[in-house]
Formats: sequence, structure tokens, C-alpha cells
Amino acid sequence: MPEPALAVTGLRKTYADGFTALDDLDLTIPAGSFFGLLGPNGAGKTTLIGSVCNLVRPTGGAIEVFGHRAGTREARASVGLAEQDINVDRFLSVRQVLVYHAGYYGLGRRESGRRADEALELVGLTGKARVTAPELSGGMQRRLVFARALLNRPRLLILDEPTAGVDVDLRADIWRLLRTLNAAGTTILLTTHYLEEAEALCDEIALIRAGSIVARGSAEELRARYAAGSIADLYQRVLAVAS
Amino acid sequence: MSLLAPAPAITSFVPERAPFRWLLEREVLRYLRIWRYALVGPVLSTVLFVLVFGTVLSRHVDGLGGVGYGVFIVPGLVVQAVINVGYYNGTTSLYEARRDRYLHCVLASPLRWWEVDAALTLAAVVRGILVAGAVLVVAVPLTGIGVERPGFLLLAAPAILLVAAQFGIIAGAVAGSLDHVYSVESLVLLPLGFLGGIFYPLGTLPDGWRLLSELNPLFWLVQAGRTGFLGTADVPGWASLLVVWTLAAGLTAVSATMFARGARLQA
Repeated sequence: MPEPALAVTGLRKTYADGFTALDDLDLTIPAGSFFGLLGPNGAGKTTLIGSVCNLVRPTGGAIEVFGHRAGTREARASVGLAEQDINVDRFLSVRQVLVYHAGYYGLGRRESGRRADEALELVGLTGKARVTAPELSGGMQRRLVFARALLNRPRLLILDEPTAGVDVDLRADIWRLLRTLNAAGTTILLTTHYLEEAEALCDEIALIRAGSIVARGSAEELRARYAAGSIADLYQRVLAVAS
Repeated sequence: MSLLAPAPAITSFVPERAPFRWLLEREVLRYLRIWRYALVGPVLSTVLFVLVFGTVLSRHVDGLGGVGYGVFIVPGLVVQAVINVGYYNGTTSLYEARRDRYLHCVLASPLRWWEVDAALTLAAVVRGILVAGAVLVVAVPLTGIGVERPGFLLLAAPAILLVAAQFGIIAGAVAGSLDHVYSVESLVLLPLGFLGGIFYPLGTLPDGWRLLSELNPLFWLVQAGRTGFLGTADVPGWASLLVVWTLAAGLTAVSATMFARGARLQA
């Protein structure tokens, strides 16, 4: 049996103000899957992602990425992250943002440059290579954040609401790229508020509420289990049952 | 190989080029891109001090132990410039990386905590050397100052640069808002500078003020710099060297602990 892309066991995070964002959460994501994580604001999605990516220090529990303990260089080198917020280095040009990001993953100068150019082309930003990120429009910045997540050719790509607030064209582009990546073997963990997005893209979905997974399965399985006509109904019913 | 396909499984992370070198390069590139603010500004303001105080006032004010006033103030002004750019570097680099959250890219990458700390520190040290060097390029011909104790200066300079760099990094990690950043600059750095013995010998102060100066960390940095350049200062060279290296070690330990624990950097 292949190593799961992500194995989370008993994960707990209580912030300094006493708020428990993750409450003994267990989650296993098989390698190669396209996994959707749904839940309301404050459910723990971003804390979970942060814990996997070394941005959040869990209070307890264990995380493994392809068999490597989260936080090790091997685990971090295996993950690509596109966060919900647009967080780009405003001092550098768009191309430099990508080149240096690739460098943080240990690539050589030539390969970093080559990948940066490829990433720019993939997201249609080649013409903006020399400007700084703040000079880009919001949609272009979103493309840049997405492109940056691909530079280390991650085996596990984590996307925190990548299509929030983007126009229809960009959403279609992102969907197309995600399908291509997944077909090539990249495991994808996607959080989204767009239920149709999860249903269209993900082969498995988990619903998270108050820091715990409350339901999990394919969209069809979950609809059948909860007798829901649509994924929107399902979402409401599962969260209502959980509360 | 296309970016649209995942990399092979990683059993052990072996970089082609060390991520530390990339981050250090990025940190240096960051301030080189804003060179007017980052380098020219601090150099110009320090040179103006040397010019106005050192050449104009030196005709009317005695220095220390027969040294002209213009020569007397140069070491302190260089130290102050180094401290200022260290602070600016830490706050503009680390604070803004935290505020704008692109620090997450660094934390999520295979860079180890001590590599991040070391890259930020070394970049600030390089910036301090650039600024100090540029100030001296102007101040040496202007005042005729030389280096009386080069060996001592070689021992003291790394500590002074390290204190400046770590102070900036700690400030950049702790600052919660731009108000914090600017208020430390005007409420802490500026008074410490004026009460740090840059412009006056300790013996000219009343007792209360003398004690205040001696409690000021900047005073010891200035004394160390002055001993290196002029061969003499208000306190023995060994004492200033001891205090400066103790400060450097202490701040380095604080900074390292913050990075190791992720304090103010990770949630």
C-alpha cells in the first residue's frame, strides 16, 4: 500500500487566547487523490493547512507528509502551498519572486530561472515578469501565488480557497491546471467555499467543523448517506447534524 | 521536466544550491533595490553630521585628549549609523514580511530556522559594513581620522555589527504595528544616540548624566568604536569590548530563541 500523501493523527491546536481550532483531528489523504476540505469560517481549515506547512505549531498530535514528519526538510520540500491571502514579496520583480522562491527549495540558479519562466508562461504572466507584485491586478497576483506554489513540483499541492474572489476566466484556468496536475500524479488538497467547485474537482470531500472532521466521502456517497439532493443540501445537513 | 508533474519522492533533501544562500541574496537584493533609502540616506545624514559638527564646530569645541572634535565624533557617528541601519533592516525586512505574510513562503520552505535567522543577520551586517564604509570614505579625508588600534577595531566591529543586526531582527519580530516601528525609532534610538557619548566626552557630564550614559548600551558601542579609531576613550578598551560582545551574544541568543520557538513568527 503506497504511503499516504498526508496522515494527520490526533491533531490539536489551541491558540494563546484559548480558542481551540483543531480538536483531535484525524485525516488521511491518499497519494494521488484530489481532496476537498469544506467547512465554515473558523472551522479549522487554515489552521490545519498551517500545521502541515510549518506555519502553525500544533499543541498536540502528529502529521506526516509522504511518510516524513511535518516540519522536516523532506516534508516541506514535498509540499506546495497557495494561501488564501495574496502574500507576495513586494520588493522583488514578479520573476524574481518566483526565482527566489524556487531557490528556497534548493534549486540551482539556472533551474530556478527556467522554472520561473515556465511558471510565468503557465499562468499568463510572462509579460509582467519585470514589474513588482504590487503593480499587478488582484487577479494577476492570485495567478502569481498559484504559480509560486508549483515551483518545487510539489507531490502534495495545498490550495486554500484559490478561487475566492476571482473572475470566471481565471477560475476556469485554475480548474484546468489543477486537473492537469492531478492527472499527472500530484495530490491536491483544496479548501473552498464553492461547493460546486469541490464537487466538480474533488474525488473525495471531508467536512470540517469546530476543528474535527464530521463527514467524509465522495460527493455521491455523502449525498446518498445524508439523503441530500445537492452538495449544498449535504453541506447544510452535515453541519446541522454536527452542531 | 514540466511544472505540471510532481517531483519524484524525496528520501533525503539535498539542495543543488543552499536555500540559505538564496535567502541571503534576496535580503541583500531587497535593500539594493531601495538603495536611496537603504544606503544613501543613512550615509548622507551621517556625513552631514560630520560636516556640520566635525568641521564647523571643531573650531570652537575641544575634543578628548588633544583629539580634534571632528575626529572625536566620527567613531560614534559611524556606530550610530550602523545601529540605525541594523534597526531599519530588521524592521523593514522581517516586520513587513510578517505583516504581508510572505514570511510564510520562507517558513514553509526547507529553510531551517537558524538559516533564516543567519541570512537576515548577515544581510544586515553587510548593510552595516556598506554604510560604515561609505561614511568613512567621506569622513577620513574630511577629518583626517585614522585607525589607531586596528586589531581592537577588528575585534569590536563584528560585535557592533552583530548588535545592530540582532536588535533590528528582534524589533522586526516583536513589532505589532508600524506605530511600534516608528516609535522605537524616535523614542528609543534617537535619545540613546544623543545620550550615548557620541558628541561629548563622559567627563564633561554631571554625575547623574554620566550614570545615565553608562547605562546606555549605545555608549559602550561608541566607546568600543572610539577606542579602535582613536586608541583612547572614556572607558578602558577591554571593558567596552566585554560589554559589546556580551550584548552581541545576548541579542543573538534572544533572536535565535525566537526563531527556534517560532515566537511571533508562527501561529
